Amino acid sequence: MARISLFHIARKNLRRKLFRSTAIVASVMVVAGTLFAVTTVIESVERSLKRGTARLGADIMVVPAEAEAKAKTALLAGEPSIFYMDREVEEKVRRVRGVKRASSQVFLQSASYQCCDLANMLLIGFDPETDFTIMPWLSKELTRPLGTEEVIIGRGITAYTVGSKIRFYGKEFEVVGILEETGMDFIDNSVFMPYDALKKLAEESKKKKGVVPANLPVNKISTVLVQVDPEISARRVAIFIEHDVDGVKAIEAEQVIASVRRQLFILLRSILSVSLILWIMALLLIGVVFSMIVNERQREIGLLRAMGAKRRNIFQLIMTEATMLSLIGGILGIIGGGAFLYIFRGHIREALNIPYLWPSVGEYLVLIVLCITLSLITGVGAALYPAIRSMIMEPYNAIRRGE
Amino acid sequence: MDAIIEVKDLTKTYRVGSDVIKAVDNVSFTVQRGDFLSILGHSGSGKTTLLSLIGGLTKPDSGTVIIDGTDIWAISDDELSELRNRKINFIYQFASLVPTLNVIENVLLPTAFSREKTDPYEYAIELLKMLKIDDKVNSYPAQLSGGQQRRVAIARAFINRPQIILADEPTGDLDEETEAEVMEFFQKMNRENQITFIMVTHNSALAKLTNRVYRMARGRLQIENG
Repeated sequence: MARISLFHIARKNLRRKLFRSTAIVASVMVVAGTLFAVTTVIESVERSLKRGTARLGADIMVVPAEAEAKAKTALLAGEPSIFYMDREVEEKVRRVRGVKRASSQVFLQSASYQCCDLANMLLIGFDPETDFTIMPWLSKELTRPLGTEEVIIGRGITAYTVGSKIRFYGKEFEVVGILEETGMDFIDNSVFMPYDALKKLAEESKKKKGVVPANLPVNKISTVLVQVDPEISARRVAIFIEHDVDGVKAIEAEQVIASVRRQLFILLRSILSVSLILWIMALLLIGVVFSMIVNERQREIGLLRAMGAKRRNIFQLIMTEATMLSLIGGILGIIGGGAFLYIFRGHIREALNIPYLWPSVGEYLVLIVLCITLSLITGVGAALYPAIRSMIMEPYNAIRRGE
Repeated sequence: MDAIIEVKDLTKTYRVGSDVIKAVDNVSFTVQRGDFLSILGHSGSGKTTLLSLIGGLTKPDSGTVIIDGTDIWAISDDELSELRNRKINFIYQFASLVPTLNVIENVLLPTAFSREKTDPYEYAIELLKMLKIDDKVNSYPAQLSGGQQRRVAIARAFINRPQIILADEPTGDLDEETEAEVMEFFQKMNRENQITFIMVTHNSALAKLTNRVYRMARGRLQIENG
């Protein structure tokens, strides 16, 4: 054994009062874990909203006026909702000032009978001629037009891969493409096919025996997705659409994001308040515990000073102990918070009822660094005053008071 | 011989409520290098305070302490700490081991604050052998008797090869046999390594084993013999 280091002394000191050390670690862990879980959820929702709306590819979604709430629910919660309006709306929208591109889609819900491999699934028919929201988001580019017996599926339909066969209303389709993940169930859990294919499917279903007929109204569409001219705001174009086209509601993507953010903020504000209270409590607890440690170890500190320890050595010793506990607490908190998110991921998605996409590795790293930093600030900040107090004690007084 | 400790007009007072107690009252004396002196006195006579003043653990109200040519209260706190680490060490009358460190770690503790780069382990073992406690190298203080703990604390005091040992009742609660062994060790270190000793005691028999004996009463120091 060579010389012993301050780190070695600190490590052994922490083992002296295992319960106390564990209590500090646990308090930092709770703060770090809560913060990690909450920020991960916030980051996830933000990410999926950004990606989802980008993926939606449209600035405005035009739906029947009475279906506004249903459409928003479909967009955010991914619950299949069916609503229709006249096909001529598409052309009317296209003529509105500020509309750069417009493409219609029609929704059909798959039946919960044997005729369909996937029940209650949103089948979305789109127009390949005008589409600007589906084909550009294939994870692998499709260089040819989509056939009438081919479909594209969202990333959430995990049971199928490219080349798999999938059956709706007794008709088999081949999966030829998978869309990139968005976190929005509306996109991730839907099946996309050309409008003509959907129409043909509905017509054929009526002739097949033992198959529930697909109830797709003729010359109807569910929505018109609009890309606005960059020189004019989406808000203004939405107003123009609602003014020029009767019986429709123009939902702005940005507005949807803002409403989700508001909804999320209300939900998470209480959690963040609790986190803040926990953080203050942890700060106080660690501060009190380290004050107790310094009081208990006055004689020891005096003896170390008598042996030649400088003031900064004493400060470093206390701060090393605080750093070690905070770091362990922070790491365990992140592991705990991560495990919580993983175990309850389904419940969290369900409870939030908003788009949810796990952060990327890079974003996770940022969150981890943030939580570790906060843990260190908590422990080190709380131990700062006791450490300074122990550092400035006169050695003789420290030895005498400790007796 | 040259002076290693020069104490001049040293005074230290304490305030207890409205009373002012003179723990050390205008004390002056000089200690030569390699000297072994003892200070006799009753409890509360100011012996421990005087040792602490000499060792730079508490600041005097007035007077100077010069260690090996350095006025210890004229240098910075860091320099004083370094001086303590290199030149002075203390042996206390109470259990002074760090409970979380084992015997060898306790002995090596002062080296954690030293600038020396040499490996002190061999010397630590040698000291423990001299003090007949080398079979307890990995034991913790709680596993040792009072006498064994004191021997470890003594070994620790010598690990940085100090020039001065300030011992405050070093054999206070030891049995006669251990006391004799410890005194023999001190005399050996004093003789062979020219280490200067100032030993505070209330045991006259023990004081007689030293070169010079001082007596302290009510903060004042008087030479008794030597």
